[in-house]
Amino acid sequence: MLRAPYRPALVLVFVVLGLLIAVAFNTTTRLADARPGRSSDLVDVVQSMESQRDELQDRLADLRSELAELEKEAAEDSGVSNSFSRELDRVRQSAGLSAVSGPGVEVVLGDGTEVAQGADPNDYLIHDTDIAAVVNALFVGGAEAIEVNGERIVATTPIRCAGTTVLVNSARLGSPYVIKAVGDPTSLETAVLEDESASLLFSAYKNQYGLQVTLSRSSDLTVTGYRGSMRPQYVRPPGGGA
Amino acid sequence: MLALVLALALGVTLGLLTNFSVPVAWLTYLGVAVLAAIDACLGGIKASLEETFDDKVFVSGFLTNTLMAAFIVFVGDRIGVRELYLAAVVAFGMRVFENLGDVRRLLFRRWGWE
Repeated sequence: MLRAPYRPALVLVFVVLGLLIAVAFNTTTRLADARPGRSSDLVDVVQSMESQRDELQDRLADLRSELAELEKEAAEDSGVSNSFSRELDRVRQSAGLSAVSGPGVEVVLGDGTEVAQGADPNDYLIHDTDIAAVVNALFVGGAEAIEVNGERIVATTPIRCAGTTVLVNSARLGSPYVIKAVGDPTSLETAVLEDESASLLFSAYKNQYGLQVTLSRSSDLTVTGYRGSMRPQYVRPPGGGA
Repeated sequence: MLALVLALALGVTLGLLTNFSVPVAWLTYLGVAVLAAIDACLGGIKASLEETFDDKVFVSGFLTNTLMAAFIVFVGDRIGVRELYLAAVVAFGMRVFENLGDVRRLLFRRWGWE
């Protein structure tokens, strides 16, 4: 129908045009395959697992209080189990499973409010290491029970960074972090203020980055009990016992 | 005409078969390059209909236009004015439609519909 003098160059550019269109098509297809869903899927998974965890934690608390009731009943029945029951209470308290009260200190760690122009915003935040430093210093000062935002510190408690939050036990916590410790208030305070890294929070970092950091003594505060599960899978008494 | 359609089909098939894709950051360059190629194709058809087609003019025009467009996109990226690539898109887009109109008129004349 059309008889124009076609040149190889023109044909070549048509091939190039086809190639470019195909490459653009491939790229957008790859993007469409890879992008949507993944992050929102993960958010869904995290949220459903968190609600599942909350339910399980509630059930655990119910079962524990039921168990305590039954033990109390049993203890009233006979004198022997009465002494066992007292022993059980004592052990439970040492393990951090029950709430305890006593004198102590309350440390509040809050992020700095104003980030200076051009500064690293990370400097203005409370990090997992800061919380761990304070908790360790409190233990050095003889703390007998410690909680962070209602999460009791027990033998298996991790304190670690999880994105913009800090993970203590299995709870994600945000600033401000309220750390309560039961112990001798004077020695707890001294321990924190003399600790190499914890003390920096109260001096240099506080002044330089405007961190909301306070430490107050208290004659009576309450530390909650551990709400997570304690079900060892691998540990057993040494010597090959069952 | 048939040769051009076949050439286009060949390019698309080659691209789809090799399943070659580029990083996301290059998509703007690719879009501008596609426009430059469409512009060159229509320009080439127009020139052949007018019988003024010249290999050197055609190929050098295609290459310099594409390179200049890529350069504008690049500069836009560097100086933080992403929208600078729109300049190339608008220019090529206008030329595409102008050339298309010319090709249409030339075809009408050739077929004696005018």
